[in-house]
Amino acid sequence: MAKENVMPAVQKKSPFGKLKGQSLIVLLVIIGLFIFFCIMSPSFRRYTTIISILDYSYYIALMAIGVAFPLMTGGVDLSIGTGLICYSLVGGWLIQVHGMPVGVGLAACILFGLVMGAINGVLVSFMELPPFLATLCTMMVNRGLGSVIAGRAISWPVAAAPGGWFRNIFKITVGKTLIPIGFLWVILLVILMSFVLNHTKIGRYTLAIGSNKEATRLSGVNVKFYHLFAYVISGFFAGLAAISYSAIFATVQPGTGAGFEMEAIGGAIIGGVSATGGAGSIVGTLFGVFVFCLLKTGLPFIGLQANWQQIITGLVLIGAVLIDIIKKKKGNA
Amino acid sequence: MGDVILTMKDIDKSFPGVHALDHVNLELKRGEVHALMGENGAGKSTLMKVLTGIYKKDSGTITYEGKEIEFHNTREAQDAGIVIVHQELNMLGHLTVAQNIFIGREFKKGFGIDDKKMNEEAKKLFDRMHIDIDPREKMSHLTVGKQQMCEIAKAISHDAKVIIFDEPSAALTETEIDQLFKIIRDLREKNLGIIYISHRMDEIKVITDRITVMRDGQYVGTLITAQSSKNDIINMMVGRVIYEDPKTHSMVPEGAPVVLKVENLNAGKMVQNVSFELHKGEILGFSGLMGAGRTETARALFGADPKESGDIYINGEKVDIKSPLDAVKHGMGYLSEDRKQYGIVVQKSVAENTTMATMEEYMNGIFINKKKEAETAQSFVDQLATKTPSVDQLVVNLSGGNQQKVVIAKWLTRNSDILIFDEPTRGIDVGAKNEIYKLMNKLASEGKAIIMISSEMTEILRMSDRIVIMCEGKKTGELDIAEASQENIMNMATREIN
Amino acid sequence: MDKFKENSFVKKVGFNRIVLFFVMILMYAFFCVVTGGKFFGMDRVLSLLNYAYFLGFLSLGVTFVIATGGIDFSIGPVMFCCALISGFSLTSYGVPMGLALVISVLVGLAFGLFNGFLVAYMSVPPFIVSMASMNIAKGIASVFTRSQSVSWPQSAGAGGWYRNLVKVGNIPVGLIFFLAAAAICAILLNNTKIGRYILCLGSNKEAVRLSGVNIKKWEMLAYTICGLLVGIAAIFYVSAYTTVQPGYGDQYNNEAIAGCVMGGTSMAGGLASIGGTVIGVLIIALLQEGILALGFAKDYQLIITGIIVIAAVYADVVARRRKN
Repeated sequence: MAKENVMPAVQKKSPFGKLKGQSLIVLLVIIGLFIFFCIMSPSFRRYTTIISILDYSYYIALMAIGVAFPLMTGGVDLSIGTGLICYSLVGGWLIQVHGMPVGVGLAACILFGLVMGAINGVLVSFMELPPFLATLCTMMVNRGLGSVIAGRAISWPVAAAPGGWFRNIFKITVGKTLIPIGFLWVILLVILMSFVLNHTKIGRYTLAIGSNKEATRLSGVNVKFYHLFAYVISGFFAGLAAISYSAIFATVQPGTGAGFEMEAIGGAIIGGVSATGGAGSIVGTLFGVFVFCLLKTGLPFIGLQANWQQIITGLVLIGAVLIDIIKKKKGNA
Repeated sequence: MGDVILTMKDIDKSFPGVHALDHVNLELKRGEVHALMGENGAGKSTLMKVLTGIYKKDSGTITYEGKEIEFHNTREAQDAGIVIVHQELNMLGHLTVAQNIFIGREFKKGFGIDDKKMNEEAKKLFDRMHIDIDPREKMSHLTVGKQQMCEIAKAISHDAKVIIFDEPSAALTETEIDQLFKIIRDLREKNLGIIYISHRMDEIKVITDRITVMRDGQYVGTLITAQSSKNDIINMMVGRVIYEDPKTHSMVPEGAPVVLKVENLNAGKMVQNVSFELHKGEILGFSGLMGAGRTETARALFGADPKESGDIYINGEKVDIKSPLDAVKHGMGYLSEDRKQYGIVVQKSVAENTTMATMEEYMNGIFINKKKEAETAQSFVDQLATKTPSVDQLVVNLSGGNQQKVVIAKWLTRNSDILIFDEPTRGIDVGAKNEIYKLMNKLASEGKAIIMISSEMTEILRMSDRIVIMCEGKKTGELDIAEASQENIMNMATREIN
Repeated sequence: MDKFKENSFVKKVGFNRIVLFFVMILMYAFFCVVTGGKFFGMDRVLSLLNYAYFLGFLSLGVTFVIATGGIDFSIGPVMFCCALISGFSLTSYGVPMGLALVISVLVGLAFGLFNGFLVAYMSVPPFIVSMASMNIAKGIASVFTRSQSVSWPQSAGAGGWYRNLVKVGNIPVGLIFFLAAAAICAILLNNTKIGRYILCLGSNKEAVRLSGVNIKKWEMLAYTICGLLVGIAAIFYVSAYTTVQPGYGDQYNNEAIAGCVMGGTSMAGGLASIGGTVIGVLIIALLQEGILALGFAKDYQLIITGIIVIAAVYADVVARRRKN
């Protein structure tokens, strides 16, 4: 027994202390991309560009933080994209058509998200359906529900209108400059969910389920509940994402939203969340999201329109997973 | 010994195709170490899984602390004070040692988990057990032996009244086994009831107070350890089945040609510079502790896992084996230790499984000649005496021994000359086991060369002509059967660790 | 009942298949009654079959993929991509009709190869590949057509002969093609090496690999077959509806997978039935037409199909659980 009871400090608490390997590379990629766009396009080098990158980042980042949890259990949640639109439609419909206060609309977004998340959770955890299939179905259900309930495009109140206060949650104007305070909320949520992931039972069991579900079950953990809860988290964040989407873009079209989930899932995976479960980082997820946001905002500046982005995001996603797979292969050899 | 804490009476349990437990009894007292013995497949693990709520019993009663109980999951069993140290490791590789030990009952601090306290508690636990493991290490970075010790630490850390050890020593070195025995004696002092599953006779004599013997899923009897001899126990375990005599000398004819030669095979840390030769008509036993790298060697040799370096010669010719496809082309066949996962396609029929490796021979243009396929399968069913209602039967409905025969048939259709049997009798009942042994001997006498990986010492000594011993990924010895004994094999099997 | 199950004909066709067939008949009768006989007319039947053809080809294709234990939910958007690229070549580049149809099949094939290569050779999880392919297909189609919808020629127009693929006058010839394709798929799945290996590797990949089978090849082939059939599905889609719009097609993923799973193909892989898929597809088509005939909006189709897939897969999960 040579070792003392005193343990050397190996883990640093600060999120930047853990900035190593993949996260660092992703950060470099973000900086590289940013510089690339700056060089390629003079009009990219503007304050408003940064604002528009951030505008795009909120809803994707929020979805990504949420979907990281099902991913870490070894599953996936494909329903978040159309879910976001559905929740936003429902919330906006309550305000626009039924004259409810904005607060109710916002609460409806979150509540609806929680309910859909719980349904996904029950399907996957209790009914043992394959996660991609269960959530593929709820993805379509969300799309149908949004259209059926709202019936048409919905506009949330504009900033000047009564109830427009909610738009200041993400952006405020001081003098003539826009301050993207939404970024602050995102950072706070990242810190909160990092804590949840690394220092609470919810996070611990999420990783344990992704690592070895049966062993976790045999350890006496209520696996079904925690498996379900991962999807509830995902749904909750899709609800938050719906709020940010409504606040930034104001108008919501039924039938859209398919494809959003790919940016969020892709962001999480690029940020180091394992596509097969068991490992992941929320800070990394945020970095991963910015890769997609930069592409989304930057590509039009170099003449590639929205349709190219779809192709490129698809390829980037596959590339990220491939890198992960190759790295693992090397690690095992 | 104190009063009776646990009684299992007339426990019955069936799985499709197997009557796993046939009215089994067990009685455990406080402050007792009770051995549960029996050959592989006798039903020991199943009985314990019934006790801890993993399986649901078909009938019978369990009385614990004077009350009849039935647990529905391990959590209920744990809460009642019955914990099990599993034979198969249940680790969460991504998590740390301390996180693994306290999974399901983490210490709380505010909203979060108190990892610091968990590390300290784990450290205390290890100190008490006199083992040196850093609680903050990732579980997947530990050796198999240390992982096993963590499992034991986890079991002890519960406030348990009954602890079940399911073959704890299979992965442990002698030093670790000594530590384990110290721990067990300590627990006995504290008046806990301990069930110790093992088939290592020497351990049983040293550590246990009473012995319950099972055979073929049936209860045979209970003995007091101090009053019974090794032979009494063996007789009860083996019963009516008469095994073939252990080999005393090699059956391989003088000057039999080398069919397989492996030189400096490397594949990760589990296979380091392994070299050996295999002769025609020989059964080459591979012995070692759990996690010694035997299966990994076989898989690398067969191309199932990538290898880093090493030369393989078949019949004197150097061959390049990159995938199982190459290995099969060169006349090798591999029978995995885990049949369900790697050997058979359970949802398919006997015929479909039999022709899996030789599909080309049953083609009629682009169509499968199902009639010919069925005929071949039937001929092997007859030849190997496989018990199946028909060749259309799904393999999932066969017993373990018969499933193994289907796998053997698969390789025989291919006329493979080199067969690798990885734990050939795991999970097979005693009668069928003997048939598999006979079959292996017959194959060897017909000139097939066989590599047999086995964790059962008796199996190694009974079947092998020559024995290769591995430890921690290295070959640590090679013995002719004439000079091999349990002691010198164990010595070599733990050479690297101590 | 047990006696009925032991009957050799029943055994061969499969008890569940027979039940499913009667479910289909009952559903048809139900819709006929509640719509006051409107559903009974030839028009309805033809429109129902139009829906069943392209969906059927998609479903047949995805059956092979699901049999390997994988998934492909890029099929809907890929089908649209095929129809858009070939259609745009036809209308804007003056490619002859015959060649346009070939292009459609080739585009499908290319996606099949791409998906199969990534899943089989690069071990990328199928759901990731599907997700990426779905977006790539939508993107390529939009880029190629400059986000414009494409209208294929009408029957009377030049090259309009392709519309005879679905019907000549009031004769549903598409049914012949569909059933012939199903027959070929059934033979492929049950009587050839391709099908045998695809089913076996869906059941236990590792065991098949250790038997010395080149599983990567067969797994990739399953996705390739799927791609090919998706290309053909595109032809039947345009033959029936002529107009295609970029950015859509997702909903057909669910419907095709639903048809397949309802027909008895197990999501866990290893078990597949082409006959079941055919009936499953007809039921889905019936349902879609039925929902419209009852006067519900198209959006209800999404919700109802979603729920049906969940129910069908859950039934599969329960059946498997009972077996183990």
